[in-house]
Amino acid sequence: MMTYIVFILSVIFVVSFVGFSSKPSPIYGGLVLIVGGAVGCGIVLSFGGSFLGLMVFLIYLGGMLVVFGYTTAMATEQYPEVWISNKAVLGAFVMGLLSELLLACYILKDDEVDLVFEFNGMGDWVIYDTGDSGFFSEEAMGIAALYSYGTWLVIVTGWSLLTGVLVIMEVTRGN
Amino acid sequence: MKPYILVIIMTTVMSGTMIVLTSSHWLLTWIGFEMNMLAIIPILMKNYNPRAMEASTKYFLTQATASMLLMMGIIINLMFSGQWTISKIPNPIASGLITIALAMKLGMAPFHFWVPEVTQGISLPSGMILLTWQKIAPLSVLYQISPSINPKLMIPMAIASVLVGGWGGLNQTQLRKILAYSSIAHMGWMAVILAYNPTLMLLNFTIYIMMTLSTFMLFIHNSSTTMSSLSQTWNKLPLVTSLILMLMLSLGGLPPLSGFTPKWMIIQELTKNDMIILPTFMAITALLNLYFYMRLSYTTTLTMFPSANNMKMKWQFESTKKIILLPPLIITSTMLLPMTPMMSILE
Repeated sequence: MMTYIVFILSVIFVVSFVGFSSKPSPIYGGLVLIVGGAVGCGIVLSFGGSFLGLMVFLIYLGGMLVVFGYTTAMATEQYPEVWISNKAVLGAFVMGLLSELLLACYILKDDEVDLVFEFNGMGDWVIYDTGDSGFFSEEAMGIAALYSYGTWLVIVTGWSLLTGVLVIMEVTRGN
Repeated sequence: MKPYILVIIMTTVMSGTMIVLTSSHWLLTWIGFEMNMLAIIPILMKNYNPRAMEASTKYFLTQATASMLLMMGIIINLMFSGQWTISKIPNPIASGLITIALAMKLGMAPFHFWVPEVTQGISLPSGMILLTWQKIAPLSVLYQISPSINPKLMIPMAIASVLVGGWGGLNQTQLRKILAYSSIAHMGWMAVILAYNPTLMLLNFTIYIMMTLSTFMLFIHNSSTTMSSLSQTWNKLPLVTSLILMLMLSLGGLPPLSGFTPKWMIIQELTKNDMIILPTFMAITALLNLYFYMRLSYTTTLTMFPSANNMKMKWQFESTKKIILLPPLIITSTMLLPMTPMMSILE
């Protein structure tokens, strides 16, 4: 059951990013990016990262909604272009999907690809479980570690956030 | 830019690089790269003209892509080895991805297109930071992972960089573009020796930084961004003409000057590793570089351009720009060849 959910979510994930890279109008770009972000959080959730998935969903989608609101407000059109209104865009979209499909079939066919690097077996991509204590999830321990002996990491992160705000203001304030 | 903001942003640029240099954990290395990339953007677009905006957008996009690839490589490495330590990378996919990401950050050959574009779009001091300080962090990581780098991936990139760096600069008249191509070519020389003797990479990098810094400082002193404005130097700052001549020949790697040291040692090291064709090819393509450096020194020093000159006494006025670090930098970037035996301190 879990495998199917993750599989379907992954398909939506890939399709949304193909759609994003062949976006006909910024509005749909923002929309598809939000879909991709949400589905990505869903994949993380399905692998057991409940806290991480929720945090990324809240923070990322909070930011994305603001950006989406702005793109909608700034680039508003009565009839924004969609994927089927332009042959080149539709072609790029279909070609992206086809290449993804072909790659998936190529990997599934004989479980071994030797393109640039040798990539044999889906087993290579399975994460080896490093093992948690069993009582707490890895996430809870990670957060605890971050706020106990990871002080400097928190300081670096906070400083980066502050600088991020300053950089954004410096970039957008104009002359 | 307000001084407070400038101080905060410069601190972040420097601390980002310092975090990369001192970190033994891949996550913090990546964080350092991101901090550095984030904070360099306002410095690049200091002039607020559309060209600078475009340049910083290009820089941001390439660096963000490279950071993403780096993170991907780090995570694959984590999956296979279960550790975050920067040490031997056993997995060829991870090592290849990390190498490609760092090459993209450095602007090496298949990913070199952003370097001339970005450098040409920004002001001279920002270009100086871009071509010197911004190379420190990726090169330090490459130095740390040098035992795990696949030479079959690195050497073609290095050859292509040297070729492109020489070839691209041939017909340029814009000084910043020429320096960008010169940077690409030097990155190629550093990359080729990385798998065989990383110390020589450090040597080449040190001397490259000194030469590029002093060249940029002379251009800033002269306020010139084109070859034709450089051809008026004899009238404005006569002494600088000879300095530019020496620096250009040093960048090109002519024997009595510092720039020859790394080329000499690299060719020697490659020959010791039983390679004949590779060093020959690199030396021949370095001639392309030498050609455009010679052209620069020719327009600056050896000839008087037939251009309009209304002011014949400009050299009498004292320049208002004082660049304090220039004299020691020029001395070190031209006269270091006799100090070559001291190279052992880098080991």
